[in-house]
Amino acid sequence: MGILSRRDFLAATAGAMAASTLHLGGASAATPKRGGTLVATWGGFEPQALFVPPGGGSSPYFTSTKVIERLLKLTVDLKFEPVLATEVTPAEDFRSYRIKLRENVTWHDGEPFTSDDVVFNALEYWKPISGGVSLNALSGAEALDKHTVVLKFNAPVPEFFLKSVLAGKSGLVIPKHIYAGKNILTNPINNAPIGTGPFRVKEWVRGSHVEYLRNEKYWDPALPYVDRLVIRWWRDPASRSAAFEAGQLDLATFNPIPAPDIPRLTGSKKFVAETKGYSNSAWVTTVEFNNRRDIVKKREVRHALMHAIDRQFIAETVFFGRAAPSTGAIHASNALFFSKDVPDYPFDARKAAKMLDAAGYPVKGGSRFSVSVVSAGWFEENVKIGQYVKQALEDVDVTVNLTIPDRATSLKRIYTDYDYDIAISNNSGSIELVPSTTQYYTTDGIVKGAAFRNATGFSDAKVDDIVAQVAVETDPKKRVQLVHAFNKLVSTEAPMLPMVDLEPVTIARADVRNHSTTADFMGESWSDVWLDR
Amino acid sequence: MQRIVARRLTQIIPLVLGVIVLNFTLIQMAPGSLFDVMTAEQQVTNPEMLEKLRHLYGVDQPTYIQLFKYIWSVVTLDFGFSYRQNAPVLDVIMQQLPATVILMLAAIAIALLVGVTAGVLASVKVNTIWDNLISLGAVFFFAAPSFWLGIMMTVLFAVKLGWLPVGGMRSIGVEQNVLEATVDVMKHMLLPATALGLFYAATYARVMRASMLEIFRLDFVRTARAKGLSRTRVVIAHVLRNALLPVVTLLGLQLGTVLGGSVVIEAVFSWPGIGSLLFDSVMSRNYPMVLGVLVLGSVIVAVANASVDLIYMRLDPRIRAR
Repeated sequence: MGILSRRDFLAATAGAMAASTLHLGGASAATPKRGGTLVATWGGFEPQALFVPPGGGSSPYFTSTKVIERLLKLTVDLKFEPVLATEVTPAEDFRSYRIKLRENVTWHDGEPFTSDDVVFNALEYWKPISGGVSLNALSGAEALDKHTVVLKFNAPVPEFFLKSVLAGKSGLVIPKHIYAGKNILTNPINNAPIGTGPFRVKEWVRGSHVEYLRNEKYWDPALPYVDRLVIRWWRDPASRSAAFEAGQLDLATFNPIPAPDIPRLTGSKKFVAETKGYSNSAWVTTVEFNNRRDIVKKREVRHALMHAIDRQFIAETVFFGRAAPSTGAIHASNALFFSKDVPDYPFDARKAAKMLDAAGYPVKGGSRFSVSVVSAGWFEENVKIGQYVKQALEDVDVTVNLTIPDRATSLKRIYTDYDYDIAISNNSGSIELVPSTTQYYTTDGIVKGAAFRNATGFSDAKVDDIVAQVAVETDPKKRVQLVHAFNKLVSTEAPMLPMVDLEPVTIARADVRNHSTTADFMGESWSDVWLDR
Repeated sequence: MQRIVARRLTQIIPLVLGVIVLNFTLIQMAPGSLFDVMTAEQQVTNPEMLEKLRHLYGVDQPTYIQLFKYIWSVVTLDFGFSYRQNAPVLDVIMQQLPATVILMLAAIAIALLVGVTAGVLASVKVNTIWDNLISLGAVFFFAAPSFWLGIMMTVLFAVKLGWLPVGGMRSIGVEQNVLEATVDVMKHMLLPATALGLFYAATYARVMRASMLEIFRLDFVRTARAKGLSRTRVVIAHVLRNALLPVVTLLGLQLGTVLGGSVVIEAVFSWPGIGSLLFDSVMSRNYPMVLGVLVLGSVIVAVANASVDLIYMRLDPRIRAR
C-alpha cells in the first residue's frame, strides 16, 4: 500500500536524520513545476472562522496557516528552518533570544513586515492569547532595529522549547497595523486574514470552500508553486473517497476517507497514503482515572484496569490498524523524547483480576465495584472504544455505567464537573512536551473548566519538580534524561495514560509532490507543494 | 383573500416567539455550553482570560435576562452576534440559507413532477405491469435512506460515469457568464435534489394513485365521460385537479421535513446550505446561531404553508367560499 507503519516511520526518521537528504512520501527530486490548482480537504469540518487567534482547533489552524506565517518551521527530521526569521540565537544564559528577521517581506496589503510586528505579537498576541502558559516566562520584547528583535525571559528558556513555540500553533505572526488597538479575538479581519504567507484569501463560501490565490509578492519569488489553492469541505468521509475517484480532490489530511477505502485507492497506484507529517501534532486516545474518586484513586486499581484493556484490539479493530498501543506517556512518533523504558500494562485479564483481588476488591454478588465511564463522543471511534472498555472491564467483574455524551457535554463532564470515574478522551501533543503533555500530570495543570489538561486531579510533588526542571534545562541531553524520568514516573503512577497512538494518514493523488515534509504538515503554508501535471 | 393571507402571516408572530422560547430553553437545559466548547477549542487556561470570555459571550448573565435580551433583539431584527463564527448571526445565515432554499425548491419540484406523474400513470394503468413497477419503485424510494441513495447516485453518476460533479454548488475558480453559472448550479444540484426529492416523490405517487382512483369512481367523472369527453380530457381537466388536493395537503405538512432532510443531503453532497451550520451550532451550543436558523426556517415554512393554502383555494373554490 506504500504506507509506513509507526515503527517504520521511526526507523525512517532516524535514518533520515543521519542522512543529509530525505526522500519523503510526497517529496521528489524532480524539478518542481509551476501552476495549477490544488484542491485539498481534511478529515474534519469547516472552520468556525478562517483564523481563530487563540487556536480554535485543527480546522481554522488548517485554513489560517496558508496565509499567516511563523518565524520558523520544523521539518519531519526535527530541524528548524527559517521562515520569517533567518536566525534565532540564545544568549549565553538562555534568558534572552536575538531574532534576526527576513528583510523585504510585505503583508498582503503591501505594508512592510518589521520588528515592530514581532514585538506586538510577542507582547499582545502570543503571551496573553495564543501561547498561554508556554510563554509565562516572557518578560519583554524589544526591537533593536527594523529587522532585529530581542525576546527577554525571567528564567532560562531551552532553545528547542522556544523554537518550538515560534514554529508551533501559537507562533503565528499577525500584522500590528491591522490588530493594534483593537480586540484581536473579535476583529472581523479574522474571517479574511491578512498575513505574509504564500497565499492570500480570494473568497470564503461558507459551507463549501475557501479559495486562495498565489501571493505574487511573496518573499520567495519562486514560491508558491501552485497558482490557486482550494480547501473544500465534505462532511462525509465516503463523499471524500468519491471526490478523489472522480478527480475532484488532490490532497486530504488527517484520515479523510474511511479506512477500508485506503487500500482500494492506493492499490490503483493513482493515490498514495502517507503517515508522515503529524509528529508535531500527535494524537492519542487516553484513559483518565479521576483521582478524586476513592476506588480509581488507588494506583494498584489503575494498573489492574490498564491490564484489563486490550489496546492491540482497539488499534486493530477500532482503528483498522491505523493506531498502535501506546508505550508510556509520550507518542512513539516523538523521535526526540520517546522512550520504551517505562512500565507497560499488556493485556492480561487474569492478572487484572488477581490485582483487583489483591487491592481489596474481590467479587461480591457478581461484581467487584461499579465505575462511571465517560467516553467523549467527539470522535466516532470513541463510541466503539467506550463500548469495548465496558465489555473489557465487565470481563474482570467490574460493573460499568457507560455514557458517551456529545462534545459539549463531554467537555463539561470531564473538564469542568469532573463527573466520571474513568474518562476516555483524546489529545494532540507537540514534540516539545512542556506544556502540551506535561500539563496532564502537573498540579498547575488542574484548572477547573480548562479543557485538555489535568482533569484527573493527580498531584505529585516529584512530577511537578521534574517538569519544572525540564522547563528551564538548557542542556539538550540533560533535558532528554529529565523527560525520560518524567515519563517513567507518570507511567508508573498512571493517573492518565495514552491507550493508543493514532497514526493519521494523508491521502494524495500520485501527481501531488513535496507534501508531508514538515512535522505538522497540515499547519504549514504548502508553498512548496507542486503538481506534476 | 387578502384577509386570509394577512391572518396567516399574523400567525407567524406567536409561532416565532414559541420557537425562540422553546429552543432557547432546550439549549439551556442541555449540558455543556458554547463557553465550554470555545474555551476548549481555544485551549484557554488562564482564569482571568476565562472570566473575560465568560463576560464577552454574555454567559455570566442569568438565563432569563439572556432570553429577554434575545427576544428584544429579534424584535428589532437583530439576530445577535456569533462569537464562534466571529460574525453577525444574520450575515452568516444569509450566506448559507439561499443554498438550502434552492435545494428545497428543486427537491420539491422533482418530488411533485415525478410523484404526480407516476401516481397518475399508475392510476390510469391500474393493475398493469406499469402500476406494479411504479408501486415497487415507490416502495423502494420510500424505504431507501436519502443519504444512502445520495452516495449510490454519486458513485454511479459522478465517479463511474463522470457525468456530474461529486459535490458543491458550483465549479470553483472558473469564470462564467450568467447562463453558464445557472447551468453549472443546476448540474451540481441535480444529484442532491433528486436524492432528496425521490423520497417525497414516492409518497406523492402512492397518495396520487389512491386519490385518482377514488375520484375516478365519483359521479361527476362518470357524467363527464357520458357527455363524450375524451379519457385524456377527463383525466387532466376533471380527475387530476381534484386528486391533487391530498398531495397539496401533504406538501404543506412536509415542508418542514424537507428542510430537515436537506441537512443530511447537504452533508453528503457538500452543499453549502445551513445544514452543516445548524449541526455545528447545536453541537457547540451556539444558541444565537441555532435560534437564528430555526426562526428563519420557521418563517420560511410558515410562509410556504400560507402559499399552500392559497394553492388550495385555487384548486378548490369551495374552500375560498367557506
